[in-house]
Amino acid sequence: MSDLAALVVQQSLNGVYLGCLYVMVALGLTLIYGVLNQINFAHADFVTVGAFTAFFTATRLATKVLGLPDAAGYLLSIFAAFGIGALLGLAVNAAVFAPLRERGDELRPLIATIGVSVLLENAQLALFGPIPYQFDSPFARETIRVGRIFFSAQSVLVVAVSAVAIGALYAFLRFTFLGKALRAVAQDRETAGLMGINPGLLIGLTIVIASALAGMAGALLGPVLVLSPFAGASVIVKAFAIVIIGGFGNLQGTIIAGIFVGIIEAFTVQYLGSGLIDLVVFVLLLAMLVIRPTGLIAERKEENV
Amino acid sequence: MRRAAYLFGAAAIVALLPWLITTPYWRGILILCAMNVLLALSLNLVMGYTGQLNLGQSAFFAIGAYASTILVKTYGWNFWLASLAAIGGAGFLGLALAAFAVRLRGHYLAIASLGFAVITYQVLVNWERVTEGVRGIYGILPPVRNAVALFYLIAAIALIVYFVLDNLVRSPIGDTLRAIREDEVSAASLGVNGAIWKAFAFGVGAAIAGLAGCFYPGFVGTLVPDAFNIVESFTMMAMVIVGGMGTMIGPVIGAIVLTFLPELLRGFGELRLMIYGAALTLVVLFMPGGIVQAWSTLRARSR
Amino acid sequence: MNFAIHLALGCAMLLASFAASAQAQVVRIGVAMPISGPGSYFGVQDKEGIELALEQFKGGINGYKLQVQYEDSACSPLQATNTVKRLLDQFQPHIVIGEECSDASLAIAPILNDAKIVQLNVGSVTMKLTESGYKYTFRIFPNAEQQSLPLAKVAYNTLKARTAVILHEKTNAGNDNAEGFKKPFEAMGGKVLATIDFGRDVNDFTAIATRIASLGKVDVLPTFALEGQQVRLSQALAQAKVVKGGGGNGVQMGSIWLPFGYDQKAGQAAVGYVRIVQFDPTEKRKVVQDFIKAYQAKYGADKTPTHINAHAYDAILLIAEAVRRGAKDSESIREQFSKFKDVEVTTGRITFDQKGQNSDLSVVHFVETQQDLSWKGMSWQ
Repeated sequence: MSDLAALVVQQSLNGVYLGCLYVMVALGLTLIYGVLNQINFAHADFVTVGAFTAFFTATRLATKVLGLPDAAGYLLSIFAAFGIGALLGLAVNAAVFAPLRERGDELRPLIATIGVSVLLENAQLALFGPIPYQFDSPFARETIRVGRIFFSAQSVLVVAVSAVAIGALYAFLRFTFLGKALRAVAQDRETAGLMGINPGLLIGLTIVIASALAGMAGALLGPVLVLSPFAGASVIVKAFAIVIIGGFGNLQGTIIAGIFVGIIEAFTVQYLGSGLIDLVVFVLLLAMLVIRPTGLIAERKEENV
Repeated sequence: MRRAAYLFGAAAIVALLPWLITTPYWRGILILCAMNVLLALSLNLVMGYTGQLNLGQSAFFAIGAYASTILVKTYGWNFWLASLAAIGGAGFLGLALAAFAVRLRGHYLAIASLGFAVITYQVLVNWERVTEGVRGIYGILPPVRNAVALFYLIAAIALIVYFVLDNLVRSPIGDTLRAIREDEVSAASLGVNGAIWKAFAFGVGAAIAGLAGCFYPGFVGTLVPDAFNIVESFTMMAMVIVGGMGTMIGPVIGAIVLTFLPELLRGFGELRLMIYGAALTLVVLFMPGGIVQAWSTLRARSR
Repeated sequence: MNFAIHLALGCAMLLASFAASAQAQVVRIGVAMPISGPGSYFGVQDKEGIELALEQFKGGINGYKLQVQYEDSACSPLQATNTVKRLLDQFQPHIVIGEECSDASLAIAPILNDAKIVQLNVGSVTMKLTESGYKYTFRIFPNAEQQSLPLAKVAYNTLKARTAVILHEKTNAGNDNAEGFKKPFEAMGGKVLATIDFGRDVNDFTAIATRIASLGKVDVLPTFALEGQQVRLSQALAQAKVVKGGGGNGVQMGSIWLPFGYDQKAGQAAVGYVRIVQFDPTEKRKVVQDFIKAYQAKYGADKTPTHINAHAYDAILLIAEAVRRGAKDSESIREQFSKFKDVEVTTGRITFDQKGQNSDLSVVHFVETQQDLSWKGMSWQ
């Protein structure tokens, strides 16, 4: 394999791995947007909470209390983070989204989620302190080499878990009754309500699923991130960009956009410089908005006059 | 007539403030507050009256600050000329953003503005030859050295801007903007060219934000890109919403409250920001129309 | 008549002197540190060091008690400026310890100098702080040149490195340190293949490591970033087989930014890491060992203090020493500081030069991370 070819393959793999990480974070965001037309600014903090949950589960609970081997402990922590994320989503929905839903305004929930984000971040700061925790999953320590290409077992795990999660989500939305009801609510809340679906309940469910996904993303990201209360903030802006490039509420679009952004990032680092990553991604975003405002995979949306 | 009375009253209070608040620290906060009032007013024009979700106002604030500072420091321009140029620049970029986003609606526009803000921030960080990037620019002097004089200057400008905007929203232009806010499609059917008026609102809003930006570096003395990250946009938005969006006095109140609140909470040390976050959430949850609406509801109830 | 006036004057003066002496029994120390936001990484550790030192001087020195007030400057010039003004108004400190981040330190320097209050800096790297002619600013933290020059010299002369890739965080401190390495290294004949900077929000360094691997033979990789990012960076570099810890040839080099215990966090990837350290917990000096014992007694036997704890602790030690030598207000503190010669603290000995920078780096030494992740002191210089 020539030098250049090896380099391109390696950076592409790096990009896919990065992209999957971003997609995990972006999935929840796009779900919430699709059903609620809401942007949840506290999403980043849900990811951070998930990461801390996973950390404490893997390093304290699983190994010390339950005596599990490292690998099993880490896998357990992913589930734990998923669960805690769901609970957090439930709480925030009950406290913030549900009460504001009736008023029909889009901006106030946004500001409310900013307030929640500040609160969560500083609560974690008070609880855990600002010094980064060392979260090393046993998978991150294993490097797999194929010729001159390398990747860690963690990246394989991330891609695998993402694929499973996305597959499960897709199947849920497509084939189950609840899933179809959710799509109905996303399309037209009023009519769905008239059809006997309880929009409030379904919206709550969406938020719970989205937050659970965020928590899980945190568990997968934990061994990659610098784990401190500010960890989520480092990925959230790109996650937003991905949601937009992929098309708000569009699942397939988000996935493709996420991988795409990951690859762009890897190649920007290679040829331009890591300081320029955000710049490139957002210029791309603006270009996207000009060329295809509805996102990569257009969904037909009708405007009611 | 009543409006004139209110305006004189406000001017009188403003004139009195530096004599009631005499320590350099609190006078500094007053100056900051005046700048925030300008920023909140600028954003309110775009969001409150024209109904456009603008997440990138911090970019225009930054452009005002950097353009004026660079012109003064690197090219030796006079502060006032430099500020005029910076304001023009910011306004022009506001127009450009609006023109770019003319086809976009609702959240797409919001995201375009967010993207614009991030790109502006990245340019400030990376274009080191011109902006010094993260190293920062130091030793920046305000146009007037005396803190009280500086406050009067900015507050006077804020009052003038308020007066002008107030007249604007009461005029037929205001009606046009409101029509666009309520229902752009219907407004179009009445012959309103949404694109031009959105651009107008964006441009004016950007120019005012740029104006506030001209005074910022002199006040702090130091200019770094981090002062203009995305969080600032959201703080501005919070000021508008907490105060009461779509009213003229709302943003002013919001700016005052959200400037003083973090400072007043300093006594709480490590709990400061947690309380701030909780307060913000609670206000938004329980006061739908912001402080202005809560106040008028209270008054209505007490009758 | 005359007598009455004299008596009245005499009483007044007596009362005044009582009031004055009652007030003057305290030396007020303002602390402007980042307590919120990501900068709290420093602020929390600074506070630990300061609180520990204050305990030791509880009884006062020469009849003077040390009184501290903390304000949150959040690493931002705006907040730093506001909090220093607040301190000056409400607390009237005789000396201010601050800040950690270079931008904020530079922002408050003119204010403190104008007010003729001593600024004692324990964490900023920027050359500008002591090159701008501030008479009241003193710094015990090594500046960028003091940190990077020895690295460049050892890289070229001892490690025989001819190519380097500089990695640094995109901040004032990172930039200055990187420049401080690049200039002398290139002047000596070395070649810098790339200077790669990254924001504090970058987490995954695989792409960067891949890029470095594609640059060819890299002898040294001087890195200037905080421990959280450095751990990930080292691991990525090892994975890409760029550094010794991963089976490659490159030697990672670093500065005093990394705390003791870093190697345990980074694991095998840190083997072969060469860096300079100032605060070394394995040092036998009494002042260091006493500090560690006190720290562990207060904060837990399983924790080792970091250089951030140590520098903050030293700040109080220096102020106490100045008071012991007769200082009681800002002017006298400044005078004592400028006369300091070989004053011993945990991070070495302090002698302030004419610009206010500590010029005594006798304690700074090189260490190399061994296979068992312990430090081995090297006698290079």
